[in-house]
Amino acid sequence: MAILTLNNVRKSFGETTIIRGVSLDIEEGEKHAIIGPNGAGKSTLFHLISGLYKVSAGSITFKESEIQDKAPYEISRLGLARSFQVTNIFQRMNVFENVRCALFWSRGYRYSFWHLLGRQKELNEQAMHVLEQIGLTDKALFPSGELAYAQQRALELGIAIASGAELIMLDEPVAGMSHSEAEASVQLIHKITEGKTLIMVEHDMNIVFNVADRISVLVYGEVIATDSPENIRGNASVQEAYLGEVATSA
Amino acid sequence: MAIAIVFALSYNMLLGQGGMLSFGHAVYFGFGGFLAVHTLIMIESETVYFSILFIPLIGGVFGLLAAIFIGSFSTHKAGTVFAMISLGMGELIAASSLIFVEFFGGEAGISGDRTYGPPFFGIEFLRDVEIYYVAVFWVFIATVFMYLFTQTPAGRMANAVRDNPERAEFIGYSARKVRFISFCAAGLFAGIAGGLFALNYEFITEENLNAATSGRVLLMAYIGGLGYFIGPIVGAVILTLMNSLLSNYSDLWMLYLGVMFLLTVLFLPRGFAGFIMMHQVAWVRGTIKQLALPYLLTGIPALLLMLSAIALIEMSHVEADALQFLGFTLEPALLTDWLMVGIVGTGSLFAVRKSLPRLRDAWDSANIIPNEDGS
Repeated sequence: MAILTLNNVRKSFGETTIIRGVSLDIEEGEKHAIIGPNGAGKSTLFHLISGLYKVSAGSITFKESEIQDKAPYEISRLGLARSFQVTNIFQRMNVFENVRCALFWSRGYRYSFWHLLGRQKELNEQAMHVLEQIGLTDKALFPSGELAYAQQRALELGIAIASGAELIMLDEPVAGMSHSEAEASVQLIHKITEGKTLIMVEHDMNIVFNVADRISVLVYGEVIATDSPENIRGNASVQEAYLGEVATSA
Repeated sequence: MAIAIVFALSYNMLLGQGGMLSFGHAVYFGFGGFLAVHTLIMIESETVYFSILFIPLIGGVFGLLAAIFIGSFSTHKAGTVFAMISLGMGELIAASSLIFVEFFGGEAGISGDRTYGPPFFGIEFLRDVEIYYVAVFWVFIATVFMYLFTQTPAGRMANAVRDNPERAEFIGYSARKVRFISFCAAGLFAGIAGGLFALNYEFITEENLNAATSGRVLLMAYIGGLGYFIGPIVGAVILTLMNSLLSNYSDLWMLYLGVMFLLTVLFLPRGFAGFIMMHQVAWVRGTIKQLALPYLLTGIPALLLMLSAIALIEMSHVEADALQFLGFTLEPALLTDWLMVGIVGTGSLFAVRKSLPRLRDAWDSANIIPNEDGS
């Protein structure tokens, strides 16, 4: 069953059309990668799904409700979490607070000003558990803005997964990382998305082929192919549009 | 001073915790204060019957109501939009307070009399000391609740929205609603401060809700340090002391206040509280003693420099023939006096510049943890 359906989604900024009618079904539990050359509109597509941008036309359905007109926080409450390509954390708060804030809504705290956080034992334990998963337990009280880059990326993931969302969207989770750091991140992604649906934008083909069950290729705002990794590798038009470049440049 | 502490703390809920720069926070202080004085008048005329102990709460309720109304449209955005709306609303309310004479009493303001209130368990609040205890009680309550607010989900999300409103939306929170809650809480506590003011002075005027009062609370919070809960308390104490002590000695105390604000912004961006907290590392490591001598070597000439600068300013300002300054008699008519102060000033400036590198070295060695390989 499809957990997320995009139906002929379009997005224009003024006269420039970035997304030219994308239709896509994401099955529940699958790991789906979106690849494509720079400027293909991958991040724009993410922003449309998560509500940061409003679609110009078309509809997006998540778990049977139409979300194309909803605000980001409403979509988040339905169980869709995302990370960002550029690290997007709460810089002046410590690592523990970052993760704990990401837990509030899904644990029912809403806008409470009558719960004292020091007393919420279960919540605090859950936050520590997330820190364990992303390997930042010993940095719990460290100011997040002063973490090393790879650690900030790990925290970025931690904030995205803390709420326990069913659909997780990761925008270039290993961009700018060294080889060993990227490898560790892939392990982490495998671990934290177990039993969940994942949509991922990524440039590194090794990682895409390692993680994804299915791959969509986005070129100039259109999906030219959606298939299993093996078939995408063998697809001639994909090779021409995208993989070919990588092969010759590598 | 106690009133200033509550007011400054409530301002910090906006700027320090919520990242909302307000130029009109006095509106809630003043509005709460005016309603509190009106309540005093109603108690006097026996329209209502309750103890004046709860007057600050009346101020708080109306500060909150004003914040709910204004916050409903001003908290859409933080940053410049919010700052401009707060400035506009501040001016609007201050201007209309002079027009609606019936309610605000025009330039003279309105006054009440707290002694007409019914006794509260036998206390009639006739003596000043009793009012003092009432004030201490409310300041304590307000401070505790403002601290506790920082420890709740709404308080933490205020920090999160300050740091990154976009991301806050992606973890399920409407940035606007988070700001609105902080804004209302700040209005409530500013109103309580206004109510305390009304109870303490028994009058209130337009001056208590205009831009000058809004500016002063910004100075308090900033000079004290925005990032720390105790910052605004420190700032409120410093400013109140300057106001009451310095104004006895010099007409120019506002100038010194301005210079102090400038120096704080330039050299202590995290305020006095931040300056104290900077020493935490050295304190924990036990290296703070290394700093004492360099601080003295730079501090004494810096103090001399400051004093000679003040002497020069006062000499150029004073209208009498002679100026008493720290036990010296300075005569602006004598060139030798100008020269003498000038030489002290130049000498100490030189000494400060000379000793500064040493202070910097001492600071580094006291704070930087050497790498394990010794490099």
